[in-house]
Amino acid sequence: MSFEGLPKGSGDKNRSFLESIYLWEVVRGLRVTAGHLIRNILHTDDMPTMQYPEEKRVYGDRFRGRHRLMQRDDGSAKCVACQMCSTYCPADCIEIVGAEHPDPKIEKYPLTFEIDLLRCVYCGLCEEACPCDAIRLDTGIYEIAADSREKFVVDKEFLLNNDTDGTL
Amino acid sequence: MAKLTIDGKEIEVPDGTSLFDACRDARGEALPHFCYHPDLSIAGVCRLCQVEVEGMPKLTIACNTGVRDGMVVHTRNERVTRASTQILEMHLINHPVDCPICDQAGECGLQDQYMKYGLYDAEVEMDDKVNKAKAQVIGPHVILDKERCVLCTRCVRFCDEVTGTGELGIFNRGNRAEIGTAPGVELDNNYSMNTVDICPVGALTGRDFRFQKRVWMLKAASSICPGCATGCNVRIDHEAGRIYRLKPRYNPEVNGRWMCDKGRLTYKAVHEDGRLGEPMVAGQPGNWAGVSGAVADLGAKEGFGLAVASPHLSLEEMYLLKKLAGEAPVHGGLTDADRGEKDKLLLDADRTPNRRGLGLLEIGQGDGSALAAVIKGVTGPILIHGGDPAADPAVTEALSGRDVVYIGTHENATSALAAVVLPGAMWAEKAGIFVNRDGRLQEFRQAVARHGNAREDWRILAELLNVGGKEDAPGSLKAVRAGLTSSIDPGTDLNQLPERGFVPGGEVR
Amino acid sequence: MTIVFDTLAKIAFFFVLIMGLVVVLIWMERKGAAFIQDRTGPNRASIGGVRLAGLVHPVADVFKLLFKEDITPDNRHKALYNMAPWLVMTVALSTYAVIPFGDFLTVAGRRVPLVVADLNVGLLYILAVASLATYGVVMAGWAANNKFTFLGGIRATSQMISYEISMGLALMGLVLVFSSLRLTDIVAGQGDLVLGFLPKWGVVVQPLGFILFIVAVFAETNRNPFDLPEGESEIVAGYHLEYSSMKFALFFMAEYAHMVIGASLIATFYFGGYQIPWLPRPLIEAHAGLILTLKLIGVAIAALLIAMLFFRRVQKEKGKFGDARDREPVIGAGLWALISLGALAGLALKPWAIGPVGAEMVASLFQIMAFVAKVVFFAWLFIWVRWTLPRFRYDQLMHLGWKVWLPLGLANLVVTALVMAIV
Repeated sequence: MSFEGLPKGSGDKNRSFLESIYLWEVVRGLRVTAGHLIRNILHTDDMPTMQYPEEKRVYGDRFRGRHRLMQRDDGSAKCVACQMCSTYCPADCIEIVGAEHPDPKIEKYPLTFEIDLLRCVYCGLCEEACPCDAIRLDTGIYEIAADSREKFVVDKEFLLNNDTDGTL
Repeated sequence: MAKLTIDGKEIEVPDGTSLFDACRDARGEALPHFCYHPDLSIAGVCRLCQVEVEGMPKLTIACNTGVRDGMVVHTRNERVTRASTQILEMHLINHPVDCPICDQAGECGLQDQYMKYGLYDAEVEMDDKVNKAKAQVIGPHVILDKERCVLCTRCVRFCDEVTGTGELGIFNRGNRAEIGTAPGVELDNNYSMNTVDICPVGALTGRDFRFQKRVWMLKAASSICPGCATGCNVRIDHEAGRIYRLKPRYNPEVNGRWMCDKGRLTYKAVHEDGRLGEPMVAGQPGNWAGVSGAVADLGAKEGFGLAVASPHLSLEEMYLLKKLAGEAPVHGGLTDADRGEKDKLLLDADRTPNRRGLGLLEIGQGDGSALAAVIKGVTGPILIHGGDPAADPAVTEALSGRDVVYIGTHENATSALAAVVLPGAMWAEKAGIFVNRDGRLQEFRQAVARHGNAREDWRILAELLNVGGKEDAPGSLKAVRAGLTSSIDPGTDLNQLPERGFVPGGEVR
Repeated sequence: MTIVFDTLAKIAFFFVLIMGLVVVLIWMERKGAAFIQDRTGPNRASIGGVRLAGLVHPVADVFKLLFKEDITPDNRHKALYNMAPWLVMTVALSTYAVIPFGDFLTVAGRRVPLVVADLNVGLLYILAVASLATYGVVMAGWAANNKFTFLGGIRATSQMISYEISMGLALMGLVLVFSSLRLTDIVAGQGDLVLGFLPKWGVVVQPLGFILFIVAVFAETNRNPFDLPEGESEIVAGYHLEYSSMKFALFFMAEYAHMVIGASLIATFYFGGYQIPWLPRPLIEAHAGLILTLKLIGVAIAALLIAMLFFRRVQKEKGKFGDARDREPVIGAGLWALISLGALAGLALKPWAIGPVGAEMVASLFQIMAFVAKVVFFAWLFIWVRWTLPRFRYDQLMHLGWKVWLPLGLANLVVTALVMAIV
């Protein structure tokens, strides 16, 4: 059998005797793994593993976490339901229903604003698209968990007061 | 004929053509414009379509200039484009630029022109703009935003020239000028929503469609308005199985560029409560698998005693219904709801889309009392397709104790007394052909998915044909149309109707 | 009657040994793999905050698998599908019948040989029964009606056939040296010395045979680098792909049970079984008191050292987690201190003055401990090799089995026969 695609030096002919009988190489391999094993048993604390729930990685300021809706001074959503975000969204995870606002200066507001966090890819294009800085992904929340798919569809009220931990 | 040169291209047009049209022909695209509308008079107020004519000292607006033999016109040189940009900037001086909340965004003249001819940096701050009234209700169907208006006066001219009602006008002068209605006057005619269509910006928006959907999300399907015998060509704008609005589709032979407000709202019936979604046997919801048996149990294997066709059916369905009835009589049932007031523009007194189709297939027609008499004269099960004949007490009385199979779309008096109710499709949920009041055969296409487990009517009729074992039931709408073509011989293949419809025996206007 | 009782007791010993080892091996596998790969490994499951360095995980896994839904494919062959895991497990367990785990034990005046069934064809029995395990694998692969499981089953068969031969040939050399097929004879023969100083272990008299055998055992147990029947990178999970819940657990446990057999066989054939080198049974019996005393002192010191390690953790990790896990080092330190104290307390019983009956018991106990220690070491070798070597390609596996191992096995047999004939 020939292995023409393999790099030079890996063919049978270029191996030394010890390498070609393989057994000695096995022993060398075992020595390497045993070295790791013993080092890690003796220095358990030095392992690079992060003990996640107790220790958490610190992400940069620009990390895109769970979304939040910005508020006006009166606490209502800044969003005007223009649906630029849902148009731009590559995952098609934003669902907005607009409605007439009693104040003609505001005119349009989101009756419902739902994001399906399971579909969202956290690309941040929605905040890029937003003409009035109504949606941001700056909460830094990345632990998003729930026990049913329905709970991952979060509504306007949730997004307006989005300062809980990861549980939905 | 006049020969002229536009952007170095020689073109020959008939005398009397406006320079605007000549430029469109020569360039392949229209000049920038707001106020020009092919169906309205020339106003010349937007000043956007200015072109340079050699020999004239100043730029001239193309829409209000006639062609002259030997004219040399420039539409794309620097002088013209600079003028277009500056005029556009002037239009936008007091525009609020609230595109995010504007329903017109996506089909807005200002947006399109700006991306094409504008692209300057605005010099007017938001705070310096003149504020006017926003979101003013000026009629049952229309909302006016005075800030967004560019004063092209298309809507004013529409109300003056097309409907002749003249509700709208321009008030005040200078940068305070605004569109409005006189005190106590409402924009309340049956064609008011056409002003929304012709408004090039978001100043006039329809109350029905307002904030329902962004226009770029909508998908379009071409259809025919089912509201009356006129058969206006429409475009169904829909998304995710829901119809959001109807827009007129240009057909100079039928409706031009307009349609009436009543027709625009006919789509509401598709999403109404009370739609039939499941087959019902003896008042209990069933499924399609059990339908054949239930219908056969009524004695339909030997054929129906009578078939009642509604003038709301498509031509294909009437044809299949006639085939299904065989020797038995077929009756075209009209109800009181099928008649109304006629107006002078488009709306017809006959509020059914396909009564001419009944005539074409030689199906006799009559109102409730006539139908009651026919029912009393026959034996065997009765098939009622579409409409609500039992709304007439005489028919209800005649039908009592009879086995009725009803194919319909909504719960009504007929579905209540029928032994078997089969859910059919609304016009937007199926394809078919309507024959309008002029005898024009026009095709409509499916826009949205059918409600619940409803089926296309021709499929239901084909299934019933199988129950009777009459003959080979057609397997596709194409096959139905082929049969229909050979049956009535209209002079064209009904599977390939032209876009603007077809009148058997030539145009008879 | 007493024979029945003795046999049942010995079966129970093996059952407890294997099942205990399976739990420990799963732990060793996961923790060892983690440490070899610079990870921490399982460390979450705990009982009242005591995690036992991850030893609670196998127990938790058992409960998880017990309560999991048993998802079965629709088009399976019902009987074979249900039988396969049990067959694999049963075969794995029945191999132990002929493996001696000690010389003998004197109970109530009776000399009880420490082997369940001392067959005179014990070696043949092992070869026969071990190859039956393939049937379980093939049945599982066939019955699940899935192409991946089927491929896994086929791979298992051809692999088994290929390596059964070199395994048998390797053992033939051993049989020539010890002139018996009876495992107790083979182990007893390994108690001698060759050339006066080397223990006469199989690995010493049959070095090539040992290499042939250990590779064949790796292949027979379907362990890396020969785990092609599972081959998750090509055929998902191979033969047990369509099994879930406790049926999957049976396959999983059978794999480790096979590892324990493999380790037992290596220890029995090539590393003297229960024999302790340079310490034959009569010597142990003669100096039982001294050995036991030294042992107790050693245990006491070792336990004390471990307790001190735990105590260091107590000081270092005060309130690290903020929950029940903080108690862990305290409990550990206390426990090991108690063991140390217990060993010291054992000295009060005057172990140096042990009688002849006690001496025999001590000798048997030491032999059993030697056997178990060897088994655990070779089981660890299985794990160690798995996390060191990459998987063979299928053609490499076949090439090695037929073109290298088979001729080497034959050569080994011929040379051994010649040497035995001359000597």
